[in-house]
Amino acid sequence: MTKETSSITSGRAELLPALKRELKKNGCLTREIMDTVAGRSGLPLNEIYGVATFYAYLPLAPLGQYVIKVCRCLPCDMKDAQAVIGGIKQELGIAPGETTADGKFSLELVNCIGACDQAPAMLINAKLYGNLTPQRIVEILKSY
Amino acid sequence: MGNVNVNIDGKKLRVREGVTILEAAEANGIKIPTLCHIKDQVPTGICRVCVVELERSRTLVGSCHTPVSEGMVIHTHSPKVTAVRRVIVELMLTAHTGDCVNDTNAENCVLHNLASDYEVGAPRFNVKVPRFYPAEDSNPYVRRNLSKCILCRKCVRVCASIPGKNILSVGYRGFRSKIVAGFDEALLSEKCRDCGKCIEHCPTGALSAPVKV
Repeated sequence: MTKETSSITSGRAELLPALKRELKKNGCLTREIMDTVAGRSGLPLNEIYGVATFYAYLPLAPLGQYVIKVCRCLPCDMKDAQAVIGGIKQELGIAPGETTADGKFSLELVNCIGACDQAPAMLINAKLYGNLTPQRIVEILKSY
Repeated sequence: MGNVNVNIDGKKLRVREGVTILEAAEANGIKIPTLCHIKDQVPTGICRVCVVELERSRTLVGSCHTPVSEGMVIHTHSPKVTAVRRVIVELMLTAHTGDCVNDTNAENCVLHNLASDYEVGAPRFNVKVPRFYPAEDSNPYVRRNLSKCILCRKCVRVCASIPGKNILSVGYRGFRSKIVAGFDEALLSEKCRDCGKCIEHCPTGALSAPVKV
């Protein structure tokens, strides 16, 4: 292995922990942060951007106080996750990827959250809500 | 390493142990199509077009990443292989917003030619949101038309093999996957020069040399 490829390999192994640390510190991963990580790890910016955009848990912009993550994988989709997303949209007036004007809620679509047995499911921060219906959405959101 | 006996399409061959089925076939004049393979680089097995039938194997295997072993009996163009390859190409065409009819470079598109050779025809699958990206002309050396990209990652890999480059990666996920440069921005000419390696390797018309007017 050349010197360059071996430093890239170790930079890769360290990348996710480094991004998680930056996320904890800054709340999101901006271009400036990724540039800093690139400088430190020896990885090119494009690779860091590729990893960051792969994971729904690595946001590129600041999020609201409560982050709603609706599962968009197949089982939830088949149990009409679209109606759930529609319900949230109607209740909060935001589309996936947006944050309410008061900064309280952000809506995100994510890949499988491991709650297929309770499809359709979503997370609000770390709390799981399953067997959702548009009616239940209203109640849940009101409790926040 | 020694040699092993394999049988490819009825030809009894003695090939060096450790080579892949694809390499063994090619060395003996048997052509297996592939879209993602780069000679002398570690295989990735992404495109699946090179699948072959291996007797006593439950599934078809990717010939670019399966090493030969003693006694293998391989069929590279059996009806089963052809049927599977046809669907693989059809799926790629489905996610591919290329306009082959108006494309003067279509004859250089390996995917286009495969579709024609395997008589794939119009894909039967519906797409919710077409994968469309505006063509990018900003770089004087490479024109990018990512609608035609099939995400074979050859450009990513050849660019990474050039010391000091590695300026392309795969961004996003699932249907939204896309080859990105920098912070998903236009290919900058300070970073990307005129080596043309990615254009050389691109199996579709996604990367091409800009037409000088």
